[in-house]
Amino acid sequence: MPELEAVLSGLGAELYFPPTPDLRQAVRRRLAPAPRPWWQSRWALAAAAALLLAAAAVLAIPQARDTVAGWLGLRGVTIQRQPGPLPTPTPRPPGPLGERLQLGDRVTLAEARATVRWRLRLPFQLDEPDEVYYSNRPAGGGVYLVYGSRPGIPVASETGVAVLVGEFQGRADQNLFLKGVGPGTTVEQVTVNGLPGIWVSGAPHQFFYTDPDGRVQMETLRLATNTLLWTSQDGVLYRIEASVTKQQALAIAESMR
Amino acid sequence: MARAQRGDQHAYEEIVDRYSQLAFRTAYLVTGSAADAEDAAQEGFVKAWAALPGFRTGSPPRPWLMRIVANEARNRRRSAGRREHLQLRLAEGFRTADAAPSPEAEAVAAEERQSLLRALNGLREDDRLVIGCRYFMELSGEETAAVLGCPEGTVKSRLSRALDRLKERLEVARA
Repeated sequence: MPELEAVLSGLGAELYFPPTPDLRQAVRRRLAPAPRPWWQSRWALAAAAALLLAAAAVLAIPQARDTVAGWLGLRGVTIQRQPGPLPTPTPRPPGPLGERLQLGDRVTLAEARATVRWRLRLPFQLDEPDEVYYSNRPAGGGVYLVYGSRPGIPVASETGVAVLVGEFQGRADQNLFLKGVGPGTTVEQVTVNGLPGIWVSGAPHQFFYTDPDGRVQMETLRLATNTLLWTSQDGVLYRIEASVTKQQALAIAESMR
Repeated sequence: MARAQRGDQHAYEEIVDRYSQLAFRTAYLVTGSAADAEDAAQEGFVKAWAALPGFRTGSPPRPWLMRIVANEARNRRRSAGRREHLQLRLAEGFRTADAAPSPEAEAVAAEERQSLLRALNGLREDDRLVIGCRYFMELSGEETAAVLGCPEGTVKSRLSRALDRLKERLEVARA
């Protein structure tokens, strides 16, 4: 080997390189599968299987998929009629409120605020939430506010939760939220703080969304109760689930600051 | 690698561990920034995991991984508006490996290294990168081609042109 090349070979070991970071940890965090959704737990397996079949049937009809979002002007939300009745959620096993719903990691309000990229809004009418959860799904993260018992609001028999508020970053083209609606469910267009929203009441319903890789994910069937959905001007999708009337739900939504 | 390909995440983490330094340092040579290099290496490993099903079983993982990581590194270098210019320098507290016969000889050797570094730092980015890949990182021709994003057949000629230009600079400096 000519002299210069020999010197260059030797130089490699003498050069300064910044310390190599712990890539294994970083990569592991990014590869870690999302926490096992509650519907995969044994007690709900049969129901989940039925739901997935229903979802597959619905998603096979492309033109139905984009209808309602259009007339509602609601970014990232699609509502759709399911062909048949949906299974009723089975009673849930005992345990702490939000944990039973597998909402993600239990965090403090301050931690949730520090983690998400949007400004968290809380319904002041309900006072402070009893529990706060952060989930790394969908992409961009989601925060759930859990309210155990509030005057005038019945507690869901399966969960012990009165109100569940979800906040997500709804990127319309990436995370399509799809709502599966069975017969016996009413869907109504409403106005929430001057913004278009939808009120879904009646029989149980589910959420679906398409993740950034284009896979359809079943997001929730949390309280299996009435739901108010709307998107704020800054692109945050809000969801209030509770066994309340439309007026009650709108009042909760309008108290969000 | 075979276990990783079957979806064994732990086996893949072992691979990440084994090639972390190589991936990070190569990305550093490309981007000239530790933060970009970390980003590129991390992203590269995450993408490689997703691309594992397409990896040809039995072939060496190194060039394949290097290609993915280097691609990420090149994208970052391109998208960084103000490119950080990598300045090669000796590690702190470094002493020449060979026992110098005298303090004078050691001083001469140190001065020679410094002038070599100056000449290297004065080279075009491409020239320095091909030299870095081959001599500092000791990458194969195939791996160097992956990092440079060029056909393997052109690595040799690129390297010899880069060495010529380095020699010219050294001669100018000596004169």
